[in-house]
Amino acid sequence: MQRQIVNVLGNVTRQVRSNQRAFSVTPKKREIFKVQSSEDFDKKVKNSQEPVIVDFFATWCNPCKLLTPRIETIVGEQAGSIKLAKVDIDEHSELALDYDVGAVPVLMVMQNGKEVQRMVGLQDEDKIRAWVATAVKNAKQ
Amino acid sequence: MLMFKALRNSRLPRSVLLLRFASSATTTSNCKYDYDLVVLGGGSGGLACAKEAVEYGAHVLCFDFVKPTPAGTKWGVGGTCVNVGCIPKKLMHQASLLGEAVHEAVAYGWNVNDQNIKPDWKKLVKSVQDHIKSVNWVTRVDLRDKKVEYVNSIGRFVDPHTIEYIQKQGERKQLTAKYVVVAVGGRPRYPSIPGATEFGITSDDIFSYEKEPGRTLVVGAGYVGLECACFLKGLGYDPTVMVRSIVLRGFDRQMSEFLAAMMLERGIRFLNTTIPLAVERRADGKLLVKYQNTTTKTDGSDVFDTVLWAIGRKGLTEDLNLGAAGVQTYNDKIIVDHTEATNVPHIFAVGDIIYGRPELTPVAILSGRLLARRLFAGSTQLMDYTDVATTVFTPLEYSCVGMSEEMAIEKMGAENIEVFHAYYKPTEFFIPQKSVRHCYLKAVAEVSGDQKILGLHYIGPVAGEVIQGFAAALKSGLTVKTLLNTVGIHPTTAEEFTRLSITKRSGRDPTPASCCS
Repeated sequence: MQRQIVNVLGNVTRQVRSNQRAFSVTPKKREIFKVQSSEDFDKKVKNSQEPVIVDFFATWCNPCKLLTPRIETIVGEQAGSIKLAKVDIDEHSELALDYDVGAVPVLMVMQNGKEVQRMVGLQDEDKIRAWVATAVKNAKQ
Repeated sequence: MLMFKALRNSRLPRSVLLLRFASSATTTSNCKYDYDLVVLGGGSGGLACAKEAVEYGAHVLCFDFVKPTPAGTKWGVGGTCVNVGCIPKKLMHQASLLGEAVHEAVAYGWNVNDQNIKPDWKKLVKSVQDHIKSVNWVTRVDLRDKKVEYVNSIGRFVDPHTIEYIQKQGERKQLTAKYVVVAVGGRPRYPSIPGATEFGITSDDIFSYEKEPGRTLVVGAGYVGLECACFLKGLGYDPTVMVRSIVLRGFDRQMSEFLAAMMLERGIRFLNTTIPLAVERRADGKLLVKYQNTTTKTDGSDVFDTVLWAIGRKGLTEDLNLGAAGVQTYNDKIIVDHTEATNVPHIFAVGDIIYGRPELTPVAILSGRLLARRLFAGSTQLMDYTDVATTVFTPLEYSCVGMSEEMAIEKMGAENIEVFHAYYKPTEFFIPQKSVRHCYLKAVAEVSGDQKILGLHYIGPVAGEVIQGFAAALKSGLTVKTLLNTVGIHPTTAEEFTRLSITKRSGRDPTPASCCS
């Protein structure tokens, strides 16, 4: 049921985009979100039923600026089978350090509260797509 | 023996008994402290000391906290150098040099339109700040990787071994340390005149300033003031430098005057022997500054977009409650001996907070590291504060190592000194016809024997790069004989040191006739 609603929303926003309206819409509000606190992280990432990709980024990091829209698009294509949580490492430094974030951007897949995949640095779309597909496949098993 | 019996009869659990017996049987210096080393201040000196200490197995905690400026500016871990000093200064200096380079490029045949080029101040500030934030992050990761605990609070003394701090949530906490290193550095001073803090900014603010600086008054003629005025000029703004008495106090007089002349030639205005009296904001938002020329005793005023105070820096002793630890201070600085120890044997200080030492990042870093080695690795090596090379990053830079000419004359007598000097013309300056009037260097040496070199001074491009190697040579006992027998690298400006031949004493003209012979 949730998935159907989400798909309908997705169709609506695709129409919005093709009409070239001048506002931006976050297509899947529940699937892509910015982490607000460590409690928020525990609730929506560690305790999530679906796997979650955590995007550790910084506002001062140019490769991060290029990566985030790419990963958002690719996660959007997964139609709810995987979520995206964005973590600003300056706002949540302890959290980022706890997960051994050094250079950014870092993409990390969390499943059942554990890290299962990690990708460091900006990659091209095909690589990211393949990486996400692996995460989705492993989660289904 | 009696104490042991008393402990046994006290019916305490065995583990507590053992602990109490152990601590009562040993001297107080072996008492367990929470940390081997607590460092107050996460800047150049503090971090270097902390990170070196953990290499030798010490359990270390580092406090760092930035009180916002009156204008509200604050920054992350790393200290003055990383956030509001050397790093952003060098980047803005580079930005202003690149503006000049665009014009020079035209002379070299590039088809660039160099008319009316303007900098995008906001873009420059964003690029500089992005870099600084990345360094803040790398610093935090490094501290974490090296297992140095980091607390973003001010640490205050409660007693000589106890530090108190307030957590973000407001809870007061205390911890004890075997050794404490105070490395809290300094901040810019504000003058005590009306409007100073409300309307003026400092180097703490300029590198993240949201507005374009525009027509700027820089009050102060130390290297901070001169460097700021110069990069503002290079970026196309209109700076004026207000000088209380002399430029670059403490530096070689002749070279300092040359640098001021170079800045004048580039169109930077100087208000000499002038002090500010008051700053007011006008209805149109601009700042009216009233001042007095102390030589002519006349008052004046002028209107600026920005007023930047660069009148000196004060040490941050006030928040530390040093009295609770019994540490002696001199004004706002801490007095230390040749081992960086304060009057309290286990409390040390490094960096800008100490009295009477060069306030430079590499000095703080090396002294911090050597101190850590003495405390935790059994080293006996002390910090050598003599012959420290330094550079003033004006568009023609000034770098020097060793004694100024007047210091050499004072120490050894004019008759025992020989000064070799020369003007020179950098090869790259001819085509764009850049002014070489202030391209000058000199070597101050002993007059007899192989003529040990006491000081080297250079004004020109990339002065820091030129002098760095010579600093090592000076430390090794460089003589004029060796210098003049060193084959120069050609064509460079550094090779001019190997071509020195004319002495001041001879009275001959030190201007070069030709280049390669």
